[in-house]
Amino acid sequence: MSDRIGVYVCECGPNIADKVDIKKILTEISAFNEPPEKIIIAKKHKLLCSKEGQDFLADEIIKNELTHLVIAACSPRDHDITFMNVCKRTDLNPYLYKLVNIREHCAWIIPDKDEATEKAIQYIRAGISRVTYQDPLIEKELDSIPDVLVIGAGIAGIEASLSLAGENRKVYLVERTSSIGGKVTKFEKILPHQGTNLDIIQEKIKAVQENENIEIFTESEVEKAIGFFGNFEITLKNIHNDEQNNEFKVGAIVAATGFNLFNPEKIPRYGYGKIEDVYTSLEIEESNSKTGKILLKSGKPPKSVALIHCVGREERGYCSRVCCNYMFKIAQYLKEKMPDIKITEFYKDLCLPNKADQEFFVDTKNKGVNFIRFKDIAVKQKDKEKFIEYTKMDGKKEKISAEMIILAPAIEPAEGSKEIAELLNISLDETGFFQEAHQKLNPVATSIDGVFIVGTAQNPKNIPDSMMDAQAVGGKILTQLIPGEKLIPEVIVSEISEAFCTGCQTCLSVCSYGAIYFDEDRNISIVNEAICRGCGNCVASCPSGAAHAKHFTSTQIYQEVLEAIR
Amino acid sequence: MNNSDILVIGAGVAGIEASLLLASTGKKVYLVEKASLTGGNVIKYEDVFSNMECSTCMIAPKQQEVLQSENIELLTLSTVEKVQGEIGDFTVTIKKKARYVSLIDCIGCGMCYEPCPVSLKNEFEQNLSEKKAIYVPCPGSLPNVPAIDPEYCLQLNGKKTCNACVEACAFGAINLSDKDEKIEIKVGAIIVASGFDIVEPAGFPQFGYGKYPNVYTAIEAERLYASNGPTEGEITLRKGNTPPQAIAIIQCVGREQQGYCSSVCCMYSLKLAHYLKHKLPDAKIYNFHSDWCMPGKYNQKFHQDVKEEGVDFIYSPVDKIKVEGNDKSLLIEYYNGKDEKEKLSADMVILSLAMMQGKDTASLSKLLGIEQDKRGFFMNQGIQLGSVDTSKPGIFLAGCAEGPKDIQGSITQAEAAVGKVMSYLS
Repeated sequence: MSDRIGVYVCECGPNIADKVDIKKILTEISAFNEPPEKIIIAKKHKLLCSKEGQDFLADEIIKNELTHLVIAACSPRDHDITFMNVCKRTDLNPYLYKLVNIREHCAWIIPDKDEATEKAIQYIRAGISRVTYQDPLIEKELDSIPDVLVIGAGIAGIEASLSLAGENRKVYLVERTSSIGGKVTKFEKILPHQGTNLDIIQEKIKAVQENENIEIFTESEVEKAIGFFGNFEITLKNIHNDEQNNEFKVGAIVAATGFNLFNPEKIPRYGYGKIEDVYTSLEIEESNSKTGKILLKSGKPPKSVALIHCVGREERGYCSRVCCNYMFKIAQYLKEKMPDIKITEFYKDLCLPNKADQEFFVDTKNKGVNFIRFKDIAVKQKDKEKFIEYTKMDGKKEKISAEMIILAPAIEPAEGSKEIAELLNISLDETGFFQEAHQKLNPVATSIDGVFIVGTAQNPKNIPDSMMDAQAVGGKILTQLIPGEKLIPEVIVSEISEAFCTGCQTCLSVCSYGAIYFDEDRNISIVNEAICRGCGNCVASCPSGAAHAKHFTSTQIYQEVLEAIR
Repeated sequence: MNNSDILVIGAGVAGIEASLLLASTGKKVYLVEKASLTGGNVIKYEDVFSNMECSTCMIAPKQQEVLQSENIELLTLSTVEKVQGEIGDFTVTIKKKARYVSLIDCIGCGMCYEPCPVSLKNEFEQNLSEKKAIYVPCPGSLPNVPAIDPEYCLQLNGKKTCNACVEACAFGAINLSDKDEKIEIKVGAIIVASGFDIVEPAGFPQFGYGKYPNVYTAIEAERLYASNGPTEGEITLRKGNTPPQAIAIIQCVGREQQGYCSSVCCMYSLKLAHYLKHKLPDAKIYNFHSDWCMPGKYNQKFHQDVKEEGVDFIYSPVDKIKVEGNDKSLLIEYYNGKDEKEKLSADMVILSLAMMQGKDTASLSKLLGIEQDKRGFFMNQGIQLGSVDTSKPGIFLAGCAEGPKDIQGSITQAEAAVGKVMSYLS
C-alpha cells in the first residue's frame, strides 16, 4: 500500500487561528508535491487535544486509512503523549506520527501574520518530509526476575534486604567478612536521638538470619555480574575456597559496600602511629564496646582527653557529616565513666544538620566539655607529656596537655569500591564514592538501570540516613520489578550496522550505560537494546557511520532539515 | 478489606516523587495540594546547589508527568479536613476550593489576564510583583491553568458586575459559579509531604527587615534572580531601583531561637553569593557566617569555588550582628573573629532564615493523629522503624515535613515512604 498522509492543523482556539492564516496553510500543504500525491487530506480542527478533537482524529485515521499522521499544533511537551495515545487507539503505529509545533514556534512569537504563516508552512512541510522516512517501532516486553543481590551486610545492606525480601522475592546478601552487621556492631551506643540502644541492630541482624527469603553468603565476593535490569547473571566466589562458587540470577543489584576511615598516619602532625595514646574514634568505640572501658595504654584511666575533629577533611575535600555528633557521643562516654575528666573538643566547623543534633551538642557542652575552634593543630610529645598545639581563629597560638588524644578521621569510600564499580559498570565521582544517577532527583539509582547504591557507599552519612536509603531502594525496586510483570525497555534505541562496523570500539568507550558489547569473533560492536537508552553518544562518535539512533536517523533528520530550510 | 489507593499530601518535590513511583505500579494516587500549582518550594529557585542545575528544568518534567499520569488524581487548592479509620482502610474528607477555571478545558493561553481589572500583590513572588485576580503564580506554573481569587474578583466578591475573563476565554473554560466541594475518598495509606515554612523575619528586628526596604529574605533574593521572577532576573533594589553595589548575606538568622540548624542555609547562601557575583561582577559581596554546615561529598568544593569567585567570608556570631541605616544605605555592626566590634556598609542585606515546620503542621497532626516533635516537625520513629514512619501505622513522612533537608534528602525519603507503602499494601 502506498503512503497515505493526513495533516491536521489545530486552531488552538484563537491562539493559532488568529495568528496564522490556516486557510492558506491548508491550501499550500494540500498542493505540497514532495512527496507527490501522498497527502490524502489536510484539515483543521478547533482544538485537537480536547476529547472531541481526539475522537475526531481517531475517526479520520480509520476513515482515510492513514499510514502517516502529521499534526500542526502545540509543543510536544504538552501533547505528544496525547496524540501518540490516539494513534495507539487506532492501530496506527505511534512512531509514524509527527507533531509540528506551530504555536510556540510561530503563532506566539511572530507578530506579523504572513511571516508566521510562511514559517508554519515550512515547518509542516519539514514534518511531512520527515514522517515518511520514519519507521514503525514496536514496544518489546521482557520477562524479569524479581530477586535481588545485595552486596555488603552492614546496616544499609541489612535494612535493604529486610525491605525487599518477601514471599515472591528472594534476596541474596553477600558479605566479604565472616559476620554480618558491619561497623555499627562495633559501636557501644548509637546517638541518643537516633533511637534507644544497639539491641535494635542485633534484632535486625537476627531478622535477616531468620528470614527464609534471604540467603546469606559470608566471606564471599561477587566475581561476575552480567546482564541488565530484570536479568542479571551473578557469580559469587568464596574468598578462601576458589572452587566454592555460586551462580544465580537476579533482577536488580544493590551495592551497600560501606566506608573506610581515612588513615591519620597520612598526616604526621596528628602523631597517630607514632605518639602513644593517640587513637581513632573507631578504636575507642571498639575497646569501649568490648571491655566497657576507655583506658590509656598503661592501663590507667585518662585524666585529660583531647578530641580532634575534621582529620583529613581538607585532604579528602569534603565534610563527613557524622563526626561532630559521634565525637560528642565519645565525650559523653568519657564523662559518664569519669565525671572529673577534662575534655576538650577541637573543631573547625560544627556540622549539625539533623533537627536533633544541636540539642545533643548543647547537652554535651553542658556536661562540662570545652570546645575550641581552631585554624591549625598539631599533637606534640615532650618527654612523657603530650601537648596539643593549636592556632585559634584570631591567630593566637596556645597549647594544652592531654593524656589521651582521639581523632575523628574522615569517612572515605570502602576498599575495593573501584573494583565493584568496574564489575557493575557504574561510575565513581571525583571523591571516589559511587556516583548516583542524578545528584538531586535520583540518589539511590545509578546510570545502569537495575543497579542501586545505598548508605555510605554513596556519600558519608549516619545510621538513620543509611537506613532511609535502604528503604528508598525498597521503594524503587518494589515499584519497578514486580513479580510476574514484564519490563518494557526503551523503544528509541541505537543500532549498529554489521556491514559498516569496522570494530574500532569507539562506541564502547562513550556509552554511559554499558549497553554495547564487542563480538570478538565477528569483530563488531553490538547494542543490547534492553540496556540502551537512545542517548545517541555512539551515533555521534562512530567514525564509519555504522551506528544510528532509531527515530532519529540521519536520513530522517536530513529530510526534515532539508524542507525546513528550503 | 485492604484498599491499595494512596493519599499523598503535598505536591512539592517529595510528594511528586512518591506519587509518580506509586502510580507507575498502577495504584491510584490522590495528590492533594493546597496551592493552585505543583512543585512546592523547588520551583521558586533558579538553580539548585551545588551542581547549579536549572531548577525548573529539573522538576518540570516530573510535574508534567504528574499531570499526564492516568493514575494520579491531582486535587489543587485542596486541604485535608477529616481522616478516619486505620491502615488499609482510611476515609478522608478533602475540601477542594473552587478554582473557577476548568483544568480540562483551559489550554493555558493566558488571554484572560489582561482584561481583568483587578491587581493585587503576588504572594508567590514574595509580594515583589502584582498579579491579576485571575492568575498563575509565575510563568511556567504547572498545571498551566489560572485560578481566580474570589476575595478580589469583582464579580465574585460582589463589588461590581464583571465578566471580562469569561468573555476573553475562547474555550469556555471559566465558570464563575464554580463552588467549593467536599470530596470523600477511601485509601489504604497516607504519605505526608506537607513541606516547610520559613521563620518570619519580623521576629528579628535587629536586622531591620520591614524597616529598611533594602533588607531582603533569601527567598526574595532568589525570586529577584529568577528569570521567571518579578523582575525577570534583573537584580534591582526595592528602594532606588538600581543594582546593589555592596551586598551582605547574613546566615543562621533564627537558628538559636528554633534550636536546630536548618542544614541547607550555608549551601543556599553560597548559591546566592554565586548568583550575585555572576550577575553583578563588580559588586562587593560579604557573607556573615558561623560554623559551616555543608555535609556530603559535593558541597565543600562549591564553598571553595565561591570563595575563589571573590566573596568575602566573615566569621561572626549572628547574635551580635545588627543592621542600621536608612532607606538607601545600610550599616552592619558585627564582631569579628578576634571579638572586636567592626562596621561595614552595604546597600543590600539578605537574611538566610531558618526553616520551620509548615504552618499547617499542627492542624494536620491533630486530624491525622500523628505526633509532632518538640521542634514542631512531624516526629519519626527513630532507628527501629526509620525516618519515614509516624506514630500511626499506615501514615508515612516524606521531605521537610519531617525536618529540614535538601532536595536529595527529600527525594530519598519519599522513595523510602513508597518502599514502606509497597510492603504494607502488597
